[in-house]
Amino acid sequence: MILPDYYEFCCRVKLVAGHDALEKIPSLLGEMGAQKPLIITDKGVAAAGLVDIVVKALSDGVVIGGIADNVPPDSDLKVVNQLAGLYRDNACDAIIAIGGGSVMDTAKGVNIVVSENATDLMAFSGAGALKRHLKPLVAVPTTAGTGSEVTLVAVIKDHEKHLKMLFTSYFLLPSVSILDSRMTMTMPPFITAMTGMDALSHAVEGYYCLQKNPLSDAHSLAAINMIFKNLPSVTKNPLDKDGRLAMAVAACLAGVSFSNSMVGLVHNLGHATGAVCGVPHGICMAMLLPYGLEYNMHKREDTIAELLLPIVGEEVYLQTSKSERADKVVSMIRQMNQDLNVITGGRHPRNLSEIKDRDGKQMVPRDVLPQIAQAAMLDGATIYNPEEQDYEDNLMVLDAAWEGRSLDRNKIKKG
Amino acid sequence: MNLAAGFTFICPFKTNSGNRALEHLPVELSDLNAFKPMIITSASLTGKKAIRTLIQAFGDSGMTLGLFDEVTDKADLSVVDQIKELYVHGKYDSIIALGAGLVADTAKLVNLAVSTKIADARKLSAEADIRGPLSPLVVVPTAGATGMETSKYAVLNRRTFVSVSLMPNLVILDPRLTKTCDPKITVESGMAAFGRTLEAYISSDKNPFMDAYAFTALRFIRENLAVAVNKRCNKQASLAVANAAAMSGCVLSNTGQNVLHRLGQIFQNIVHVHPGVMIGMCLNPFLDDCMKKDSSLVSSLLQPLAGDDKSAAMPEAGKAGEAFREIYGFSYEIYGALKGRMPRTISEAGISQFLMNDILEIINKEPDGAYLRTLVERVCGSSVRA
Repeated sequence: MILPDYYEFCCRVKLVAGHDALEKIPSLLGEMGAQKPLIITDKGVAAAGLVDIVVKALSDGVVIGGIADNVPPDSDLKVVNQLAGLYRDNACDAIIAIGGGSVMDTAKGVNIVVSENATDLMAFSGAGALKRHLKPLVAVPTTAGTGSEVTLVAVIKDHEKHLKMLFTSYFLLPSVSILDSRMTMTMPPFITAMTGMDALSHAVEGYYCLQKNPLSDAHSLAAINMIFKNLPSVTKNPLDKDGRLAMAVAACLAGVSFSNSMVGLVHNLGHATGAVCGVPHGICMAMLLPYGLEYNMHKREDTIAELLLPIVGEEVYLQTSKSERADKVVSMIRQMNQDLNVITGGRHPRNLSEIKDRDGKQMVPRDVLPQIAQAAMLDGATIYNPEEQDYEDNLMVLDAAWEGRSLDRNKIKKG
Repeated sequence: MNLAAGFTFICPFKTNSGNRALEHLPVELSDLNAFKPMIITSASLTGKKAIRTLIQAFGDSGMTLGLFDEVTDKADLSVVDQIKELYVHGKYDSIIALGAGLVADTAKLVNLAVSTKIADARKLSAEADIRGPLSPLVVVPTAGATGMETSKYAVLNRRTFVSVSLMPNLVILDPRLTKTCDPKITVESGMAAFGRTLEAYISSDKNPFMDAYAFTALRFIRENLAVAVNKRCNKQASLAVANAAAMSGCVLSNTGQNVLHRLGQIFQNIVHVHPGVMIGMCLNPFLDDCMKKDSSLVSSLLQPLAGDDKSAAMPEAGKAGEAFREIYGFSYEIYGALKGRMPRTISEAGISQFLMNDILEIINKEPDGAYLRTLVERVCGSSVRA
């Protein structure tokens, strides 16, 4: 195990996991001196009945200070301010955020406003502008993918001024994250597959990107092992309680890893594909993950080979010769997309050309690839990718990912 | 690993490790909203050179530093009260504990005193419920760290305070401070971390997050402790052991399995030996018992200790035995290289029967006292009896 010349590692969030972890929220709030939480969520989560489950779990010792389910898919400053008003009017003393990325972002934004008594959220944007502990924030993720329950970042958009505000601070971390199997039980197979692949992309990119360190590595390896063991079976059997819990834990492990080691090409091109074509993040990750490995192979072959053991287990690992291990990792990830494609009856795509919207229309036409390659040049994730990227390489990767064929590694410009 | 039973995990400290890690302190402190830290250390135990190195790392940051460097091995709650007065009077806003073991214990209790604004720190009660968050606390371990520095425990005068709130916000591992040219100091630190982590790693109540720390710590010690002994003054190897020690504090704070830890602590409290001495001594008999109870848990040790390839190649039935042999061979090498400086028995440690009786009295009060006694009996040696 290599001790880097210098590294930093941090995950300060308290994690509570289990089939009945939600029931622990009242005592966790009590430990933090809180008893009247505001619940923040979105319509989809509420419609799936997840808020009801949380409310029922809170029955003892907690007065619910309000339930707001109007978080939009894209965080919005207006909603942040409105929810902060609700928090104050109802004299709440904590926040419970139930949902995915945008709910977490919104809850973090509300927490800044109510804790700092802020009128202008902008004054707290950027890195390190927050200076003290905020109100207790309990994160209840419902996707088993994003890892946003352990990240210290929040993005809030001011749609009127067309501004995107980025907040980074340790004080933004949730006080507690609750990983409860019931919160992901109703996810349909297609969503289960893509969120699981999102988690896998965090764990795998976290393992080869530039800020990797022994602790982020250990989190990645555990996550990868759990995802390969559980993702296909949970996608097939949505009511598999233990599998759901394992995926929630794996996604959180992966979140811890990538928030420390950062991410590279997969996220870089994935963000751009999402921005240009509106493709869901998890799908972009799933389609591009094999290419992140292939693109960085000449710089990270030994590292990538280490992923084989948690993926295939001891027997297959031993049968695979050392020189073939890294390639086998790539083919196992391609196979995972293939398996998920079969399990979801074709809804989980295998390449960029297969991504379709609800009406069955192709979302990434081949002629937008240059636009994606260009947009990716502006995304920050490229800093942590082992090999440098440029426009031509981006386009070459996108072309291959569109067709679903392996990258011609001889054509990568090696820096 | 049985996830269905549910688990809770917390590690509130950030780790900064490596070259010039100390120079990150001003930025890290301001991220914690701290601008006027008080350094708590010991000129006699930690050494003046380490104190100078730490202070110089602040360079032209403009931060005002307080310094209390008179912690001794006799530190008690009156010293805590004395430091608390200085802290309050000097309007400090954070604490940096520089040193191993007792220095961190003292600093944690000063932090408790100043954060709860208790009038007289001598009245701090180990029984009281401690709820955070306390003021920012940074731990900067030096060579010979016990691993307790990063844990939820603070032990002073045989009294043990326990709370997650006592854990530091940040640990800085800088090779200039973790390096030592006395291999015995590294081995004490390494064995303490190794034993505590190993016990948690083979327990049935472990979870994947704690496991990540434990796996990393075990592998670091396996790969570096013998190197640190054989290549004296090796910066990289002692830094790796210091990393493992810091991780062991997190592991220990998240497990209920702590037989080896408690034995180390009891002997440290009564006869003032490094906990690594007792933990190292009891390691083999403890593992022996684990093998008899449930060898399948012991088999999981083979991967962190022997590496992926060797572990994968060993059939399941042979894994536990091989892990046992790994540990035996590894400790044999280390103890051998120290040529008797690391005692293998309580007799060799020079502990008198008189003190041993005191120790046994305490052991008997532990809920699993009868078992602890059987462990101690096996490492007594010739001149003392348990």
